[in-house]
Parts: sequence; C-alpha cells; structure tokens
Amino acid sequence: MYVTNYMTTPPVTVMPDEIIVKVKKIIADNHFRHLPVVDEKNVIVGMVTDRDIRSAYPSTVLLDEMYATEVVKIDNSQVREIMSDIVVTLKKFSTLDDALILFDAKKVGAMPVVDNHNTVIGIFSVRDLLQAYRRIFGLGEKGGALVAVKPDGKKRPLTRIAHILEENDIHFSRLVRAKGRDDSDTETIYVRVNTMNIHAVHAALEEAGFAIDFLKPQS
Amino acid sequence: MTDFRNITVIDHLRFDDHDTGGGLHPESPDRLRVIRDRLSASILNPFITHIEASPVAREWLLTVHDEAYLYRFEEAALAGRLDIDHPDNQICYESFEVAMLSASAGINGIDLLESGKAQTVYCNIRPPGHHAERRLALGFCFFNNALIAARYWQRKYNRRVLVIDWDAHHGNGIQSGVESDPGIFYVSIHEHPTFSFPGTGYAEETGIADGKGMVLNIPLPPGASDAAVLSVLNDSIAPAVKKYSPDAIVIAAGFDGHQLDDMSGLAYSTNLYAKLGVYLNVWAEQYCNGKTLSILEGGYHLEALAASVEAYLAGLAATKDTQ
Repeated sequence: MYVTNYMTTPPVTVMPDEIIVKVKKIIADNHFRHLPVVDEKNVIVGMVTDRDIRSAYPSTVLLDEMYATEVVKIDNSQVREIMSDIVVTLKKFSTLDDALILFDAKKVGAMPVVDNHNTVIGIFSVRDLLQAYRRIFGLGEKGGALVAVKPDGKKRPLTRIAHILEENDIHFSRLVRAKGRDDSDTETIYVRVNTMNIHAVHAALEEAGFAIDFLKPQS
Repeated sequence: MTDFRNITVIDHLRFDDHDTGGGLHPESPDRLRVIRDRLSASILNPFITHIEASPVAREWLLTVHDEAYLYRFEEAALAGRLDIDHPDNQICYESFEVAMLSASAGINGIDLLESGKAQTVYCNIRPPGHHAERRLALGFCFFNNALIAARYWQRKYNRRVLVIDWDAHHGNGIQSGVESDPGIFYVSIHEHPTFSFPGTGYAEETGIADGKGMVLNIPLPPGASDAAVLSVLNDSIAPAVKKYSPDAIVIAAGFDGHQLDDMSGLAYSTNLYAKLGVYLNVWAEQYCNGKTLSILEGGYHLEALAASVEAYLAGLAATKDTQ
C-alpha cells in the first residue's frame, strides 16, 4: 500500500541550470510529462512539465525570423526560468491513499517521492496509482469473477462470508465492503472469487442466508 | 414444409468417461446425454448423420499446447490426481484420453467438410476447451478444442478462419492463442469481465503486434438479453466479419448465457440461439460455401442446454424455405 512499492525508480531528473532544449529532448525521448528538478545533492528544488516547455516557446504565428530568434533564446535558457518551485511531494512512508488525496486536492499529475532529507528517490504519477489499484483490486486478473452480496443485517458479515467460502473450498482473493456514491446508499459486499463455478458460490452464500446482487446496470 | 440440410454430429460415448466428481460440479456427463436425447426426439433427427470422433495426430494439439503440458496432464490423470491447475478442473484416470478425443473432434469435422462429405458439422463434446491455454488448464477446460480446430484449418487447408464465440465467458485461451496471429479472427460476445470469469475480454483488447485488430471482444453487462446480442451482431460483428471475409468459420458454441443457466448473469432466451444459428447459416452461405464447424463449449442448465442446442442447429441447418 506504499507509494514506494509502485513508484518509478530511479527517477530521471535535471538540474536547474540545464538548458531547456536538452530538458525538452529528455521529456520527448522518454515520453514523460513531468520531470523533477534537483540540486547537486539530489534534493528537490522544482518540477518542470511538458506543458511548461510548450508554454515557454513562442507562438508559431510569429514571423519566421522573429520565431527563430526567440526559439534560440528559449532553447538556451535554463530550466529554472520555467519550472514550478513549489512542489508537492510524497514521502517514503506515503500510502496510495495519500497519493490519491493529493492528486485530487493539488490537481497535479505526478509527484516526486522524497526521503527524510528531501532527496528524490522516485516519481509517482496518476498512471502509477491506477496501476497500483488495478493490482490491488485484481482488475483483469485471469480466472476471477466478481460476486456482489447484500449484507443481511446481522453482525460480522465479512467474517461469515470468508468462513463460508473457505468451508466450501472456494478460493477468493478480495473481500470489500463498500458504500455507494452517497452515504445514504446501502452497502454492498464484493468478493472476487477465483473459480468458474459461480453456481457453487451462489449456492453456498444463499444457503447461509445472503442475497446475491446481480449487478445489472440501471436503465 | 420443414426442411433442413444434413447435420453431421460428431460425438463419442467415451466423452461420458470424463468424471468431474459429481456433486455441484456443473460440467457433468449429463450435459451430452440430454443433448443426445433431445436430438434423437427432434424433428431434426432424420437429417442428422452421426459420426464417432476419432483421435488425431498429437502434432495438431502441439500447435496450441506445449508438449510439457501434455505430459503433465497425462501424468496427473494416470497418477489418480483429482484436479489439475485448479480445483475447478476435476479429472479422473480417463480424462487425458477423453480430452485428446474431444480435441480431435473438430479436426475430424474439418476433414469431412473439406472432402465434401459434410456441410454442417456440430461436435457434441466434453470437456470444453476455450479457457485452456498453452500450458494451463482453466475453467473446466484442458485442451483448446476450438483453437486446435482453427489452427488445423488454417495450416492444413490454408483457410482464413473466423472463430466466433458466444459462450457466456470470454475465451481467454482462444484469444491468447490468436492475438498475435493475423490469420485467425476471434470474435467473442460474453458477460463483462468486471463481473464474470475469467476476468478477461475487455473491449480494449483487440490483438497485439501482427495480430492487432484480429480480436473483437463484445462484453455485455449482467442481465443482457436477446436484443443486446442481436444489436451487436448487426452493428459491430457483421461489418467486422464482412471486412475480414473469412473462408472458414468455427463456432465456439456455448449455451450458458441462457437465462436459466446460473453460471452467468446473462439472460438469453432459447430462441436467441435459433437466431444465432440463422445468422451463421447466412454467413456460411456468404463466405464459406455453406460450411460451418460448431464445437460445444459451456451450457450447464440441462434442459436449457438441450433446447438451445436443438434450436441453434435448427437455425443453422434451415434451408431457405424454412428460415
């Protein structure tokens, strides 16, 4: 559940005095959208994005001669001129949930991961977060099926469901109790079972008094 | 007057010897027995030619499966193991030999089609196959019967093969076998993988590398019924098939999308399978000189299975007067 388990490391970084044309090439060659800017001790000092690069260059509406002159000027400017120096970071012990909250609150697409000395140890993007949750929730894992169960109002439904599945030798990998979009929505319990024999799963749960939610889409 | 083309049914009583342990295991020998009983009492019966499946050369199974897997499966069966790779895949001493015979049936059918001795072939076989992968048994499947048949048709007869699969579950084994191959086009209509085993078959999966565009997945939500299937057939599948222009069609014919079959959340009627038969009848005329090879996959509600197979074959073999 820690970002360090899913971050990209070692990260590619640049220093503040790197010229923009070289930073532009690094971003393009690696298909990055974000690049941490660090000092000589690898301490984070800024972030530059592909958008920062695009915004730095002049409009193509300019006359050719003017455009060429401006491009040369920008190419040879230092990245410190265009980077953001207020950087949202994740820490070594930050969790995926921390990352989710920050991505939502700060509206950024990636964050450097830093240690106690603010040196950059990795970079974690929204895409990394999606991949992490994908692994955790088993999306696209072969051999699984999702079963949704309505809580029966009695105590400890998750314990009882786990018990039923284990007693019936039904392999499962995830058991989640979740509310709907609003707090007023009823809960549903989702279990990802690793079996084709869904008939046996339904039979075992229904015999124990649970009702299956067949998850038909609302029309 | 009701009239049908001849239907060649490839079957063997040996298929009943694959013992899945009884109890709540849905893939039971009764599946084939109810189909046999239904067809023998059907108006189709006078038009049916029965052929016994016969084993084919092992090399054709090796076009789809690793030899090490064959040895592992055989050893597990002969050693008296109760399952292989997962408790779903129950086996008995006979299972390896039975699965080899099941995998041979499609090839037997292709030879009949190509020699002109048959036009409409249906393989009434078990265990099913479309989940089986190169070296993995999965979802009651051990050898990928439909993929083995498609490879044979492609390599032996140089055919441009369409495999269409409407079993309620995505045929992960067929897809993984063809997704980098430009010579076989795989179309699958199945319950959405978010909800349904095996959790693969997203619409975004369209093939890779040289096989890009050779996979068409149509996932349907739980509760999807006849209208949804007919809509995708008309709007998505028919144009894709026309563009691909196959000259051989293999149907991975699963019937577990039926509304009575609780192995999926789909809600098809028996009549839908009749309509699917008619669709394939028309496509066969259009692309393959009227020839098709259908191979049984899933279908676990015994009454619904028998009725659906009959309805499907009736649609598939109907002459123009009957359609």
